[in-house]
Amino acid sequence: MQEHGSISHANQGMAKGVDMRGSNDLVQWQKASVRSVVVHDLTLTPQSQVLTVRFPWGAFIWHRPTAVQVEQNGRVEMLPIVDLTRLIQLGLVGLGVVVITVISFVQLARRKEKVS
Amino acid sequence: METISNLLTLSQKREEQLSRAVEKIYSAAQPGAVYSEPVTAGNYTVITASEIAAGGGFGSGLGFGSAPTPPEQQGETSGREAQPTNGGGGGVGGGGGSSGRPVAIIIIGPDGVTVKPVVDVTKIALAGVTVWGTMLMLLRRMRKASKR
Repeated sequence: MQEHGSISHANQGMAKGVDMRGSNDLVQWQKASVRSVVVHDLTLTPQSQVLTVRFPWGAFIWHRPTAVQVEQNGRVEMLPIVDLTRLIQLGLVGLGVVVITVISFVQLARRKEKVS
Repeated sequence: METISNLLTLSQKREEQLSRAVEKIYSAAQPGAVYSEPVTAGNYTVITASEIAAGGGFGSGLGFGSAPTPPEQQGETSGREAQPTNGGGGGVGGGGGSSGRPVAIIIIGPDGVTVKPVVDVTKIALAGVTVWGTMLMLLRRMRKASKR
């Protein structure tokens, strides 16, 4: 049991639990867990996803947080990290696509009516 | 010949330097890169979670050749043995960039753990303006097309 307000690292050093998906030389899609942090009586294990694209002449990396695993008295809870900004952006783009599609279909139907 | 080998070794050295620089991009892939160190204030501890994107690349080129002897000089050198004029050149270049933005804040307090999302209003506004503008432009074009 930790003292209130104190922080300690349960797993010092390297990341743990790296899960590789779609792994090959060019593209790597990995899931990684950062070292656990103990705050009060809670053990937090932040998790993330990494997309690595390697070229012979360069590289591209996209790293985003996905969830936090909270462990308290043996009970494990997963708190997802939602990227609200990206969701709203995608929602706006999706809405725009839907509106344009609907309008173009309506106009196409009107034209067909006029022709007939 | 010596010049060519000098150029080749110089180019290889530069390429190695750039490749080492590109390797630094991979530090963005380290698991600890997206989560900050915990900060405690009173009964609360805060950890920020950020999204990181990084990219870079480099390229190099070398070229060698012998200059053709101009016809007017051909007569002058006809008596002696013609000396071929060889030359070469090379270049190395590279570039890269990275960006990061906070996605959420993890708050650990007496009530437990809460994850609060960080909303980037500027990005949303920019996306909204872009979508709205594109929609208006497409609608105008569609109206013009239907009038024809």
